[in-house]
Order: sequence, then structure tokens, then C-alpha cells
Amino acid sequence: MIADILTVTWKELREMLMFGDSRGRSKLSLVVLLLIFGVVIPLQNGREWVASPISAMVWAWMPYMWVYSVVADSFAGERERHTLEALLATRLSDRAILFGKLLAALAYGFTLTWAILLVSLVTVNVAVRGAGLLLFSPLMTAGALVFSILISGLSASIGVVVSLRAGSVRQAQQWMSFGMLILFLPLMLIQFIPKALLESVGNALTNADPQQIAVWAAVALLVIQSVLLTVAMRLFQRSKLILD
Amino acid sequence: MNAIQTYQLSRSFGNLKAVDRLTLEVPRGTVFGFLGPNGSGKTTTIRLLLGLLDADAGRAEVLGYDTREQADQVRSRSGALLEHHGLYERLSAAENLDYYGRIWHMSKTERESRIRELLEPLGLYERRDEPIGRWSRGMKQKLAVARTLIHHPELVFLDEPTAGLDPVASAALREDLAMLAEQEGVTIFLTTHNLAEAEKLCNQVAVINHGQLLVLGSPADLRSRTSAPRLYVSGQGFTSQMIESLRANTLVSSMRQSNGQVVMDLTDLSRSHEIVTQLIGAGVQIDEVRKEKADLEDVFLRLVEEEDRGEG
Repeated sequence: MIADILTVTWKELREMLMFGDSRGRSKLSLVVLLLIFGVVIPLQNGREWVASPISAMVWAWMPYMWVYSVVADSFAGERERHTLEALLATRLSDRAILFGKLLAALAYGFTLTWAILLVSLVTVNVAVRGAGLLLFSPLMTAGALVFSILISGLSASIGVVVSLRAGSVRQAQQWMSFGMLILFLPLMLIQFIPKALLESVGNALTNADPQQIAVWAAVALLVIQSVLLTVAMRLFQRSKLILD
Repeated sequence: MNAIQTYQLSRSFGNLKAVDRLTLEVPRGTVFGFLGPNGSGKTTTIRLLLGLLDADAGRAEVLGYDTREQADQVRSRSGALLEHHGLYERLSAAENLDYYGRIWHMSKTERESRIRELLEPLGLYERRDEPIGRWSRGMKQKLAVARTLIHHPELVFLDEPTAGLDPVASAALREDLAMLAEQEGVTIFLTTHNLAEAEKLCNQVAVINHGQLLVLGSPADLRSRTSAPRLYVSGQGFTSQMIESLRANTLVSSMRQSNGQVVMDLTDLSRSHEIVTQLIGAGVQIDEVRKEKADLEDVFLRLVEEEDRGEG
């Protein structure tokens, strides 16, 4: 089972890294992203980049976007390019195919995030000299590590469920964009929340232990992912996929 | 032991009976042709046999495994080239085969030697590192056939492998299929609506229409069982009176006349001289007399027409 999952992951990653997503985004676009988030933005932030919790927030959201750009292709793309039925006719189990694709998307988001994270550290250390070695704090490093996996996993799970149901890659991407809007909806609605309520929430958050908040957020993400995985496993039925 | 055995296998989509009480046996080691017009249920049958779809009724055993309960065993021992070639066009030929070799847990050395073994006779080995996106359809079909064989399957399903190919590419692929079938010694279950293809490749054929099996046997059996030997007479002086007298002859089971030619299905071809004598006696100036047995295409068309008329 593990070997089968890794086989599917190998092929998916190969296509993602060598050829980008179905819209033709290639290695060049990865280089551009690496330059923007690994060089330009860290340069603008200087030494704050490693000290401010804002960078951790950024790294927590980035994986969603990396994964989002490729995961819509996972099943909808195979169906669109008529490669899915040949894959379903092999000895691979349903779970090996499903988890192989999930793992590939997760690994893609995680790897890209950490590649950019490492480049950004090199950038700030070259740009800000005389301040010793600038590194993220151990707590922030652990947070970035855990949340880059969890957010990549969340995006991969949503993407796989969407891709299983969508009729085309374009439709899957539209649904994923809509999902992203929903995720950002609370931020947009902040202005409509009464000030008193906002203040009390703000105070509660300020007084709360950040580690405890991170743990609760991680647990919430794990629960959501478990639900999404259960849905994906239910949706993954060979006969249904073929007739779709 | 049979490679495939089905018992009253049925599958419907809404009101459409795609496969209707199909019972058939495919002996191991044969190249089995599954013939039928478009939409007759051929692809659905393959999907049922691979366990990709569940049957509504009846059951099937493939290589001794129940397709409903042990579909994974069936798929482990089979290869399939389905309606579409299913190749990854952004990957090279070698990468496509390598991926499927990995799926069947072949070692790196095994994969490399097998890729060479399969691609060399097909004339594709030198181009193995090219992305296949720009390859011709014929080359992709050849590669897809190689992919179905990568893991030394016991049984291979080929769903209309020459569909959409030009005649030259079709003939080339047919030759390659015949060569690979002999070289690999696998059972091949081939669906087609190309009768010439079935006649050239298959030891056994079955004809299906509207999901129902119409006939099963070797191409020669089918010809002899389902079609009368045929006599073609070309000449001048055919009169309506003479045509009527021919129709009345018990030796003639059916006949038609067109463009100075009379075509008759005879009950006994060895007595065709009696017809010729009758025609000469009636004053026909005969230019040519030709005897032949109907080819598989005639058999197929007749069976399908009869079935469509509800005579099957």
C-alpha cells in the first residue's frame, strides 16, 4: 500500500514540478514566485522578517495557494485528458490512488513553502549584515513546520474532493477559488462586527497563550481534514468515476 | 480452464440494457474478437470484466476470479487498453511505461529491460525519451499496447485498438498485435467493429448487438454456420420469367439481381453447375461465374440486421 501511494505520488510530483499545473504554469513561474516571496518581500521587511509573527501568518497561508494551483488537476485533469480510466484499470487500490494524489499535493505545497522560507532566510541574512545569524525562533519554526503541513493538507483535501466532483479542471479551479473566498470571508466581515465584540475578542486573544491557540487551530484543521478525507473516500468509487 | 467465463451477465443504464444476459467462454491463449456495432455493449462488457462496473445481474469470472468480489485480483493479472489510450502526453514514452512498471512493482532493471523488449519491435525504442504529446495517433496506440503488456499480464483487454487510425497505421498496429500476441502468449480479448481485423487476428469471435450475444465461434465456423455459399453470375439475357424460375429452385435460398449480375445464396455450392445449366438453357449469355463463401462482414451484417428485425 505504501509503495503504491509513493508510486502515484512520484508521478504526480514529476508532472507538477516539471510541467506545472494544467494551465501551463511551468518552472519559470515557480522561479518568479520564489523571487517574490523569497527575495523581494523579505528584503522589504528586513530583520523584521524573522521576528514578526506576520511572517508566520504568511507562511501558514502560502501552502494553501501553492496546493490550490495544482490540486484541481488531480482527478478532473486525468478525467479531462482521458487518463483516469487506464489508471483505474490497474492493480492500484482506490486508497493508493487517492492518498497518492493527496500526498503529492501536500508535498508540493510543503516543499515549495520551505524552499521559499529557506531562500528568504538567506536573503535577509545577506541583506542585514552585522546582526549575527538571523533565524526564525524555534517556536515560529515549529509553527511554520506544522502549519505548512496542515494547511497544505487542508488545501489538498479540499482540492481532491472538488476535483473528484468537478466536470473539468476549469470548474474545479472555479470551485477552489470560491472556497478561498469563503475562507477569507470572516476577514471581510470584520468591519460589520460591533466594536465592543471585536475588542473583547481582541482582548481574549491578547491574553490567551499563543501556543494554546496554535494547538486548537491545529486540532481544528485536523478535524476538518479528517471530515474531508472521509468524504473523498466515499466519493472515490471506480464505477462512479468512470460513468462520470 | 477458461480465461473468461460469464453467466447471464447483465448491466443496464436506466432503461437501456447495455449488456443483456451475456453468457460466454473465452479459452486461455486465444485471441478473442468481440464484435458489434457502436453502442452494442462491447465497452461496458470490458468494464464489467475488469470490475470497473458492477453487474446488475449474473456474474463473471476472469482468470478464475469473481469480478465483483475479487476485482483487484483480476486487474492485477490483466492489462487494458480502453476506449482512450490513457497515456500521459507530457511524459516521455519511457516515463509512461516506467510509471506502469512501478505500479506493478517491477524493479528498475526489470522495467528498463522490459521497456526495451517492448519498444524495439514496435520501432519506438529510439524515440523513448521524447514527450509523446506530438506523436501520431498510431504511435500512441502502439505505445499504449506496449503499456498493457509491461507487467506480463495473463490477459489483455483491447477496446477498439485501431479505432481512429488511418488504414496504413491500422494495418501496422494489427501486425504488431499479432506479433506481440504470439511472442507474449497472452489471452487477448479484443473488441472491434472492424471485421477484417477480427478475421486476421482472432481464433474465436462473438457477435453482440443491443447487449445480447448473437453468435460465438471461430471465424470459419461463423461463416459456415450463419451464411450460405454464394454464386455470382454476370451476363446478358436475364428475363423476369427466368428470375422467377430461379427463385422457385429449391437449391436457391435467396437471390438478388443488379447491373447484369445475379447473386444467389445456395443451399449446396457443389451443385452450382445445375444453376449454370439452367441459365444457359434459358438463353442467358454468361460472361462470368464466381463461387465464394460469404466473408465475416457479410455474416456480421446479416446477424445484426436479423437481430434488429427481431429475428435473432
